[in-house]
Amino acid sequence: MAETTAAMFGGHKTNGLVLVVDDEPDVRKVVRMTLEKAGYDVIEAEDGEKAIQEVQKGENPLMLDVIISDIRMPKINGVEAINYFQQQYPRVPLIVLTGFPDMEMATGFLKKGIVDYLVKPVEKEKLIKSVATAMEKRDLNRL
Amino acid sequence: MTTDEPPITISILGAGQGGTAMLESFLNLPHIRLLGIADKNPHALGFRLARLHNIPTTSHPLKLIQEDTVNLIIDVTGDPTLPPFIAEHKHSSAEVLGGTAAKVLLELIQHQTFIQTQLFQSEKLASLGTFASGIAHDINNPLYIILAMAEEIREENHLERIREHATSIYEAAQRIQAISRNITDYVRTSSHQELESIDLHARLEEALSISRFATKFREITVQKDYQNGLAIQGKPEEILQVFINLITNAIHAMEEKGSLTISTSHSNGLVQIAISDTGSGISAQNLQKIFNPFFSTKPKGKGTGLGLYNVKTIVKKYQGEIQVESEEGKGTTFRLSFPSIPPISPLKEMVSSEQP
Repeated sequence: MAETTAAMFGGHKTNGLVLVVDDEPDVRKVVRMTLEKAGYDVIEAEDGEKAIQEVQKGENPLMLDVIISDIRMPKINGVEAINYFQQQYPRVPLIVLTGFPDMEMATGFLKKGIVDYLVKPVEKEKLIKSVATAMEKRDLNRL
Repeated sequence: MTTDEPPITISILGAGQGGTAMLESFLNLPHIRLLGIADKNPHALGFRLARLHNIPTTSHPLKLIQEDTVNLIIDVTGDPTLPPFIAEHKHSSAEVLGGTAAKVLLELIQHQTFIQTQLFQSEKLASLGTFASGIAHDINNPLYIILAMAEEIREENHLERIREHATSIYEAAQRIQAISRNITDYVRTSSHQELESIDLHARLEEALSISRFATKFREITVQKDYQNGLAIQGKPEEILQVFINLITNAIHAMEEKGSLTISTSHSNGLVQIAISDTGSGISAQNLQKIFNPFFSTKPKGKGTGLGLYNVKTIVKKYQGEIQVESEEGKGTTFRLSFPSIPPISPLKEMVSSEQP
């Protein structure tokens, strides 16, 4: 992460910085692999509490472009964390990535302004497209 | 029949399939008292069940036939020499049920047992529906890892990284295998007749891992206070069903947050199991009815109303007791007790507290 930030300050141009929140290390790894190949920088957090700490760290509040979060996690769960992010960082677009194919929940999240509700296993292309859409939204928010 | 009349006393001759089915049925009837069961074969099927319920067993039927307090002697041996022998030795007040009449009774009992099994099974299958989203979640996570890592390997040339990905795939597949095994164990019909020694804690752990599917958000901590080396007798699938029912009820009562405590202990030849939650509790009015068939406080389509009824039926079948204490807004505790038997093998040390 420190490297990521340094690289960015060093003038290294990436497509953006994405925070991935999931309690499973291998899920985070898979998302990281997909996104890094698509030219994004990735930081990780294993639960809502760590995610909040991560967002507040250093330059992250300014640099962070997109948050991808699971909703079923220990400690502060994803729903609580998402509410927190929406209040504190309303300009950072959010994507839910979950194992629950729950229409009702998905509709609820989308109404609240979440960019996408993705269900695992999600195809690589779909995830990248969703992050790209979120990036566009982020750019609009910045204007 | 009213409660103040004395119970009907019955002796069963024959402890094979028929005698055992009869014994099993009568055990649940409050106004029948069993004086004993006889069979020439000292290892007859029904003897183990009889001993579990402290019902005398014998390979010499004469004593049972001569017993002067017996109201009814049921002969399911099919042995043609037995009816005249009974007629000769029985007390004048004792009635005899044998031959075709006994066969008809047996037919009815076996039919009832079949229906009971179907009832257990349908309740299990219905409750699986409430697990569905939890199962989907627990499968979709490793599935995502498998698919994405496999795709990665196709484009990866670095051997070390390929090995790493393969390990991730293997571990994720093992998780799916464990889920599949859990569900299969749960759905399996307990058709075999034999009772087994049941490792209590292994069943409780299995029930916990299946019950994890029952809830969407797990902010529930599990406290375990296990006394090691406890075993009871029964059919493993049925005991598992009892635990799953009580644990999932507890989890549902807590909705998203709370504490589930499972403790086991042993005293006076009894194994005790307590399952407590810090959930919504049960009103005094409902507490009277929770073991009734088709009683449910869950919304239509969410509960069958047969869960606790089945729990009680199974517990009674193994000479157990079940009690419940509850306070609205505070939580509920179910206490079970079963006759204890010596454990089959030394049990592993259990962790005292962990996430479900």
